Amino acid sequence: MSVISLEFFKLRHKRLFLMVTLLISVEIAWAFISVGMSISRNPGMVGWKDIIMTLASMNSLFLPIIAAVVVSRICDMEHKGNTWKLLLSACVKRSHIYAAKYICACLLLFYAGILQVLASVLFGAANAFEQPLPFSLLMRFLGGTMVTNIVVISLQQWVSLAVKNQSFALCLGMIGAFIGMTADLFPSVVRSLFVWSYYTGLCPVTYSYTGHSTVFAIRTIETSVTAVIVFIGALVYVVGSIRVSRQEI
Amino acid sequence: MLQRCISAEWLKLRHSHIWIILMVLPVFSILIGGANYCFNQSVLTNGWYSLWTQVSLFYGEFFLPVLIAICCAYVCRLEHMNKNWNALMTAPISPWCVFLSKLFIVGVLILTVQIFFLTLYLCAGRLVGLPQQFPAETFGWIFRGWVASVTVSAVQLGLSIRIRSFAVPIGISICAVFIGLGMYVAKVGMLFPYSLLTIGMGVLSQESLTSIEKTLFYMMNIIFIVLVCVISIRHLKKADVIA
Repeated sequence: MSVISLEFFKLRHKRLFLMVTLLISVEIAWAFISVGMSISRNPGMVGWKDIIMTLASMNSLFLPIIAAVVVSRICDMEHKGNTWKLLLSACVKRSHIYAAKYICACLLLFYAGILQVLASVLFGAANAFEQPLPFSLLMRFLGGTMVTNIVVISLQQWVSLAVKNQSFALCLGMIGAFIGMTADLFPSVVRSLFVWSYYTGLCPVTYSYTGHSTVFAIRTIETSVTAVIVFIGALVYVVGSIRVSRQEI
Repeated sequence: MLQRCISAEWLKLRHSHIWIILMVLPVFSILIGGANYCFNQSVLTNGWYSLWTQVSLFYGEFFLPVLIAICCAYVCRLEHMNKNWNALMTAPISPWCVFLSKLFIVGVLILTVQIFFLTLYLCAGRLVGLPQQFPAETFGWIFRGWVASVTVSAVQLGLSIRIRSFAVPIGISICAVFIGLGMYVAKVGMLFPYSLLTIGMGVLSQESLTSIEKTLFYMMNIIFIVLVCVISIRHLKKADVIA
């Protein structure tokens, strides 16, 4: 616990919360402009499902890059400050530092998810949606986003700590965003191989095209799919932690 | 002096493996765009132009600005480490040489990416069996895309020099891309560097720019480049570096 609080202590002047808030605000603003245009075209036809699906699609582009930026900032300060030896001389295991950084990044991305949910609730209230607030749907959306985030963060953290040059980690984030954004164009078998595609893959709302309109529908995500994703995340985390702990400083 | 600064910047890129990052994005864009074109040939009937919409949409609109931001952050990374700003600013080099040499290097790197992207586009077109002649407009899109890239590079370089963090300027570029997209949709794209990239590369509209629009496009790029260079060089001259 003290290692985690120390991570946040190190971040106190880095304005990371502000940066996450700004980036996620741009995403939310863009998503709401898009939904707002749909409302003006089809008044009464747009609801919570549209907001959730639009946000999930935008997450595919934004969250891999936000995760890359956040993780890179958390990890790069040790590379830049050359503080690894200092940290280890304080009798802290490298695996604990790895875990603390991971939890810190997950909490920051969880904060981003909470902001999205709160903004959705406010947007729904402002537009006086007829349907009641779908609390469970919003929680499932948040859960799906976080499950994908934990895998993406574990991958980013491994790269950010293993390779000093952060351009590789940010390039991975960019490729992730690219794949996430275009994943819906792939056949489902190919799509399932890429972790970044699960921002929409684990979203409780799906869509299909009927003629010239898009129909949104609620779906149930199989527990086995979520379990496999969590397992992959855990695997990447464990392998990354072991590899980074054995790396020469 | 500028020539020696450029050589020094080039030297700093040795063993950086930045070429891997530069090559990866065009390859991904062409692979995904090309595959999408193949699967939807019944709808995408405009030959080379349809293929361009598929391969350049995400590349030009979202990922090229991020790639530029990564390059700019990378060429400033060495200075931000080990108090190198102090060493650089006490060397007998004028700040404008420092800034322009970095801008030149990023410009060359992005030009390489654009040429590589064009080559891949040509190969993809031949592979999917496009029979018609290769459209000459493509060279214009690639060149204008590069000109706008230099403008974006100047902005990103200014940010990367001021901001010590590697990742923050890249985050800012993502926000700027969306603001740029909004300004393009609002038809005031000429007033924002990131929208100029969308206009120059013909990402969202493949209609040829009129000669007045072309002149305005180049004029705006020159104005932005000069303005950003002056502000950034002035900052380097006046403000203390934080090493």
